[in-house]
Amino acid sequence: MSRRAFAVTVATAARRVLADGGGFVVVLPFYVMVVAVLSGLWRVAAASNGGSVAGYSAVALTWYIASTEACTVSLDIRMIDEIGRDIASGAVAVELLRPASVLLVRVGTELGRALPRLASCLLAGAVLSTVSAGGPPRPAALLLALPSFVLAIACNLVTQHAFAAAAFWIRDAGSSWFLYQKLVFLAGGMLIPLEALPAWLRTTASLLPFRAMAYTPARLAAGHLEPALLLEQAGWLAVMTVVAAAAFRAGERRLQVVGG
Amino acid sequence: MRGLLATARNAFAEAAANRAALGAQMTVMAVNDVVWVVFWVLFFGRVGTVRGWDVHLMVLLLAVLTCAGGIALGVVANARRVGHMAVAGELDSVLVLPVAPLAFVLLRRVEPVNLGDLAFGIVLFAAAGSPTPARTAVFVGAVLASSLLLSAFLVLTGSLSFFVGRSEGGELGMHAMVLLGAYPVDVFAGVAKLVLYTVVPAAFVAAVPARLVDAFDPARALALAVVTAAFGVAASLTFSLGLRRYTSGSVWTRA
Repeated sequence: MSRRAFAVTVATAARRVLADGGGFVVVLPFYVMVVAVLSGLWRVAAASNGGSVAGYSAVALTWYIASTEACTVSLDIRMIDEIGRDIASGAVAVELLRPASVLLVRVGTELGRALPRLASCLLAGAVLSTVSAGGPPRPAALLLALPSFVLAIACNLVTQHAFAAAAFWIRDAGSSWFLYQKLVFLAGGMLIPLEALPAWLRTTASLLPFRAMAYTPARLAAGHLEPALLLEQAGWLAVMTVVAAAAFRAGERRLQVVGG
Repeated sequence: MRGLLATARNAFAEAAANRAALGAQMTVMAVNDVVWVVFWVLFFGRVGTVRGWDVHLMVLLLAVLTCAGGIALGVVANARRVGHMAVAGELDSVLVLPVAPLAFVLLRRVEPVNLGDLAFGIVLFAAAGSPTPARTAVFVGAVLASSLLLSAFLVLTGSLSFFVGRSEGGELGMHAMVLLGAYPVDVFAGVAKLVLYTVVPAAFVAAVPARLVDAFDPARALALAVVTAAFGVAASLTFSLGLRRYTSGSVWTRA
């Protein structure tokens, strides 16, 4: 699949979301609510702990939570379930007829759908954080976070496809999206900065790709100017893309379609 | 009444028909709940206490919330679908039956995955809620009130769809209640706290019942009962009034 075809896939999906508009009706209020509650909790925690938790000030924690939530709320949380159903039902067979990779078309479409939501959540999150806690702790780090947000979404998407590819063999991705989501919650640092975890859990999380999906952009947005994080994130994206592509290639060869 | 009992029995039989799937879904939900317990243990392990809340009180809150959520989203699963059914015109099959429409709709469907919440909440209270006969009695009463309140709120926000023609509000109401109820209410201040005790009564769904189990207070119990009754009446009235504006979608469903 050419780069241009991928870009067109992303742009078309994004335009559809913008034209519909309905998708924002639930996502945006839900995002604002979650960020208000969770960042409020962390600010209270910081206040009762001498002004900071695990090296994050109340302001940094607010920007951290606004960032992790934007990365996760922008995506369809049941995507693994839906991909698994398409594979198990054989609906994915139609996609094999296209002269393009099933995986890349699907990832491109989902990326296009997520980007407008991500942009609107980030905008709302920035306003909410500034009003409730203060401006960005370090504007230069926030600029570095911008590409990191897109990488986080891409990394999450390909990893979800790698998980869902199991349906080629077991014919059901069932409720595994629930477990995946929880891995992003804790090992991905969505609810709690990884520095606040016990050492053994922090070490485990550092070996998993989930930190690239929420923690990395949030750490940058919280004022930590650490460009190496972007490289690590790009590395995880490459690794998980290879894993997902291999799983889809192998799965497509053994796909069985029952009925029509 | 016999018709409603038979409806509830059928709904449970349907949910239990595939035992393997029921077990798997309940397990997944229980694992989901464990993650929240882990989060709060880590959180309070790091920060100690927050405005009078510690890990023990938080565990009680989670036990109440998961039980109440298990009943409102699992046992009377259609409570959260009232808005969708109203907008999609899916109530035709209900209106021709010789039973109370709202009661029938609520009892018609059981969501197996949320029964995992109910089971988890009971186990959590038994394991970490220091159950004594008195505390257990208060826990049962508090969970019943909390689940009634949550169901009533879902029906109320869902029934508003009869008037506004869109169902997203009901879905948002559900998320708001479950999300806001899962946090210590004292984290909030000012208008936000007032909202949680009135318009979106999330405080009465989890925090107030948890405090009741921790230290019983008659005034607090009365407030919970009054709020539950008020939302119950409001939900029932809104649904009945909404039915007058109901437009069939010409879809014959099993609700």
